[in-house]
Amino acid sequence: MKTRTPRGAWALRGVSAAVALVVILVVGTVAYSAYQDYTGLKAELGAGPGRAVGSATLQGSAEVVSINITVPNRGMYTLNVTVSCAPTPGVSCQPAQVSVPPGGEGVLHFRMAVADVSQFLATPGARINGTVAIGLVPFAGLTIGVDLGAFVKAPGGP
Amino acid sequence: MSFGRRVTMRKRVTSAGVALVANVVLWIVIPYYLGAYLSGVVPDLALAIPAFVFEFGVLFVILDVGAAFFQGMAVSVPFISGAALLSAAYLWLVTDGGDLQVTAAGTTIGLQFQLLLYVLVLPSLWAALRAPLSYLAWRGASMEPPAVP
Repeated sequence: MKTRTPRGAWALRGVSAAVALVVILVVGTVAYSAYQDYTGLKAELGAGPGRAVGSATLQGSAEVVSINITVPNRGMYTLNVTVSCAPTPGVSCQPAQVSVPPGGEGVLHFRMAVADVSQFLATPGARINGTVAIGLVPFAGLTIGVDLGAFVKAPGGP
Repeated sequence: MSFGRRVTMRKRVTSAGVALVANVVLWIVIPYYLGAYLSGVVPDLALAIPAFVFEFGVLFVILDVGAAFFQGMAVSVPFISGAALLSAAYLWLVTDGGDLQVTAAGTTIGLQFQLLLYVLVLPSLWAALRAPLSYLAWRGASMEPPAVP
């Protein structure tokens, strides 16, 4: 004898299907956006040579490092990019943040000043701990610890 | 899941056997070797704790085998709900509550995805709730008087 599925069970199946659909849509769009934003940023930063994003200017014994990055957002969620640095003696920095809506483009201006560049470069193992935070609002965020000291150039150097 | 069908003992044993093999592979064998591999590559990842994975794996096997063996019966409800709640807890713990930190070669990389994790555990939480509701729906239907032809 075949048992008929009660209406309540059909309703529960409907809710299950809706929940599954929501999960697939959210995970799919987040994965798609993450991939699109990654390829967009990678193309902008230029994995190849000749696409310098940082420039250093000497002002006496101090050096001002400027990092300008164009941030494209090819994904489906708002893209937040923040660059900041931890307090370091002799270094002052101005944190930068850009919030790019889907399909838009923003420019991130980060400035950092090293009071005595010669002393900084002469110190073995000297580094400026920085954080790059990339967020797909509101679902996911990525923070990467970087050494911003790599952008400090020797006076008269390349 | 349906509670109205009659299930033979042979089918119960077969389903339980399939559930046993599938769950041992899915929750113990794969996570163990994946954890062992990842512990070598990224030491700080939460997944790289073989004992933690093994304990959850044993619980998954017990609950899923119980759910398969008692399918169609009221006693399967706590097994189904338990397995669903456990999978939600497993996902939460294995991802550190959606806040993973990995340190490799002096660089720290953090991944925060709390809201995405809430979405990911939603099917498990719903499955835990659905089992008793489904049982009640089937039970209520079986107690209804037959329709007049």
